[in-house]
Amino acid sequence: MIPHLSSEQLSEFMLGQPSPLVARHVRDCATCQSELANFREALGEFRGAVRAWSQHQANAAAISSTVEESHPWTPSRQLAWALLMAAVCIIASFVLPRHGADGVAGGDAVLLNQVDTQVSRTVPSSMEPLLKLVVQE
Amino acid sequence: MTATSELATSELERPIRPDVAAFAGDFEALVRLYRPKVFRFALASLRDLDAAETVTQDCFLRAYQARERFRQDCSLHTWLMQIAVNLIRDHIRNRRFQFWRRASLTAKSADVAGHAIADRALSPEAQALLREQVAAIWTAAERLPEKQRTVFLLRFVEDMDLLEIAFATGMKEGTVKTHLFRALRAVRELIGETI
Repeated sequence: MIPHLSSEQLSEFMLGQPSPLVARHVRDCATCQSELANFREALGEFRGAVRAWSQHQANAAAISSTVEESHPWTPSRQLAWALLMAAVCIIASFVLPRHGADGVAGGDAVLLNQVDTQVSRTVPSSMEPLLKLVVQE
Repeated sequence: MTATSELATSELERPIRPDVAAFAGDFEALVRLYRPKVFRFALASLRDLDAAETVTQDCFLRAYQARERFRQDCSLHTWLMQIAVNLIRDHIRNRRFQFWRRASLTAKSADVAGHAIADRALSPEAQALLREQVAAIWTAAERLPEKQRTVFLLRFVEDMDLLEIAFATGMKEGTVKTHLFRALRAVRELIGETI
């Protein structure tokens, strides 16, 4: 009698193509029979688990697509819109003050020009007509 | 009677398989019948929910477009699985170039194992052991080379026989056997400690 089956021989047996020696050993050896039964059971459980899990995923996907159809404003879309609006606000906060600063700077320049004009006059503006008369004489 | 008319008569007399009749008449019924199987195989192969749904939809789209070319030399199920196998292979190749793309669902072994033995009256210890074994097989299957994983899933999840797997994968029966043997040995060795 051969010693207990190796992993290769067990796989061979599982595929239904054992050599006569392996087949005879399995027939006579309770340990290897039990080993094979455990392996078969594990593979059976694996099949059942994958099928149940797949069914669960399919159901979850069907539910989520139904919810999305009935409520188009799903959290992910709301989040996308919120991010978009935040981006617009951030861009605006950079762009708008620059325009404002330009406006203030322009206003300051006009005011300074006016002050400069007033200061550089020899006489106040209300007396300018009189100054003209004096110059003509 | 001429040879042509004899052939025509024999064609008419040949029984039409129900799935083929459904294919010809009611494509929606066909989708309802086979969609869960194609989706399950795609999901187990890719472990990505979005990708599995895309592959499943593409599979039925291609089947519909190629329905005239269905030669009935295999079952409709095998033919659909052949399309799915090719789509999954393409998807895996494309994914290699999309390393930045995260899978929408990275199935962990515990997720799958959690669905094992839900309705059986086993002791908590026995349930824990079986869950551990299922998780080990799931992890082992993930580590298999693509061809070995494909034949392993087709055989041990989809219950297809060697000839059907050979047709679906485009391999010779002997090649399928070799891949299956290697896959089984690798899985057996990886889970050996838990069994």
